[in-house]
Amino acid sequence: MSSLIQARGLSKKFGSQVALDHLDFDVQPGRIVGLIGPNGAGKTTALRAVLGLTSYEGELQVLGREPFRERAQLMGEASFIADVAVLPAWLSVDHAIEFVGGVHPRFRPSRARALLANAGITGRRRMSELSKGMKTMVHLALTMAIDARLLVLDEPTLGLDILARRGFYDALVNDYMDDTRTILITTHQVEEVENLLTDVLFIDQGRIVLDSSMEDIAARYAAVAVTDDALTAARAERPFHERPMLGKRILYFERPNFERLAALGQVSTPSVADLFVAKLSRGASA
Amino acid sequence: MKTYVWLVKREFWENRAIWIIPAAIVVLLTLASLFGTIEATFFDSAERTRSMAGLMFLAFGALFFSALSIYSYWYLLDCLYTDRRDRSVLFWKSLPISDTATVLSKLFVALVAMPLLYFAAADAASLLAAFVLSVRAHSLLGNALWQPDVWLQLQAIWLYVIVTTAIWYLPVTGWLLLISAWAKRAVMLWSVLPPLAVILAERLFIGTHACLSAIGDRLIGYTSTAFNSHAYAWADQWSGDQPSAISSGAPSAWRILDPWGFLSSPSTWIGALVGSALIAAAVQLRKRKADQ
Repeated sequence: MSSLIQARGLSKKFGSQVALDHLDFDVQPGRIVGLIGPNGAGKTTALRAVLGLTSYEGELQVLGREPFRERAQLMGEASFIADVAVLPAWLSVDHAIEFVGGVHPRFRPSRARALLANAGITGRRRMSELSKGMKTMVHLALTMAIDARLLVLDEPTLGLDILARRGFYDALVNDYMDDTRTILITTHQVEEVENLLTDVLFIDQGRIVLDSSMEDIAARYAAVAVTDDALTAARAERPFHERPMLGKRILYFERPNFERLAALGQVSTPSVADLFVAKLSRGASA
Repeated sequence: MKTYVWLVKREFWENRAIWIIPAAIVVLLTLASLFGTIEATFFDSAERTRSMAGLMFLAFGALFFSALSIYSYWYLLDCLYTDRRDRSVLFWKSLPISDTATVLSKLFVALVAMPLLYFAAADAASLLAAFVLSVRAHSLLGNALWQPDVWLQLQAIWLYVIVTTAIWYLPVTGWLLLISAWAKRAVMLWSVLPPLAVILAERLFIGTHACLSAIGDRLIGYTSTAFNSHAYAWADQWSGDQPSAISSGAPSAWRILDPWGFLSSPSTWIGALVGSALIAAAVQLRKRKADQ
């Protein structure tokens, strides 16, 4: 099956500063991919390139189109929420639905209205009268009512409280996601999306550090909690990162011998957040 | 095409001043004609009365046109800037609308939709005032305000001015759109300072004033290009200083408009070219600058 997004040597410079350094990656249909990286790693720049909001060097195909040259056509089949609270203050909920319905062939107003009714948001109100969480729900309802093949979310829940964040992801998973959709998402709150993701892309200093499906992570990485007496034996298995934890040490391994590790302590699959920290710390110490 | 209709609607939702300002002027002028004092001395002869009627409508038109000019300047500077400032540009760009369509829709609102709206408002205000005044001061005015030829001439002048100013001031329009699509802040300052700086630099370092005259000619050269020299005589006729001229031949808008002079002037087309180039540049900037 051909990739929904295909990047080859994707690069972007701002002056002399390199934001994206020859990225190669693919996103397959039906996946939920988390693009994860520290601040300034190039996540937002990569998403902007995918969405046609910025020029770039290298090859990039999204839904078979060149994003920067064909943004308008691309947006007929892809949609995005680039940030919370970007709906303009003067826009009323009704007008927003009318407008998107008027310009977007794949938008279903009835679906947007149903989603908003569920969230208890009425039509005549302007964005300036809504709370940040409600505004996000309006934006999500507008976006979910578009029958898009690709949805891109850039820090969609930034600045929202825990209730609004949970509501956002519940709506996304229960009312939107199915086999025909693909989602590409960046967020700081890795723990919140970890259970949603089917794939992760780690990005640091404009480069891909890890590109893996969640199943592969379980097969490829292990974390072992080791007591001091087993530490020397465990270190001989060449962990790439370790950290102290409640009197023990957690050691992280890539492609380890799982049988030998089991003898040293309790073996688990590292969480995405832990793996991220471990991977990037190694980068820093190497 | 459907997209353009929605884009124009969108502009009216966002910028309610587009219709509030002309509506407010209509109300003010109507109030003025309801409660203002009518000076009997102006209407001492039939000719003078007739001239005053024409002059009044012309003044109404000029008032609406001034308001339109000032508001358009602000609108053009603001239209590609506010949504970058509040980041809502990211929402608009998530829709299947090209940047060209976005810029052209704003251009259409500024050059066609708003002028026609102000034109309609000026007509409404003139009709209302004419009605009120001919009821209030029937003994003085008689039917002087109801002259089909005067009304027809006013319509012709309005339409002519809408078309010719749109073409003549295209470089100004393009420049404002460019600044609106580019500036990070202080659009008003950016719209004025670079031309001033260029003029000053040219004077200081080269000692010539080609830029000053190019910009100056653009700003004040409109009337002399779009209207012919009869215009001044025509205005005098309306002001009532030469009532005899009226009896010798009805003052005619057709005589003062100079469409052939306007269309055959090279500076009309040079301006249109420069303006189009600036608008194309604004589209490119709009494409590249998603937000700040």
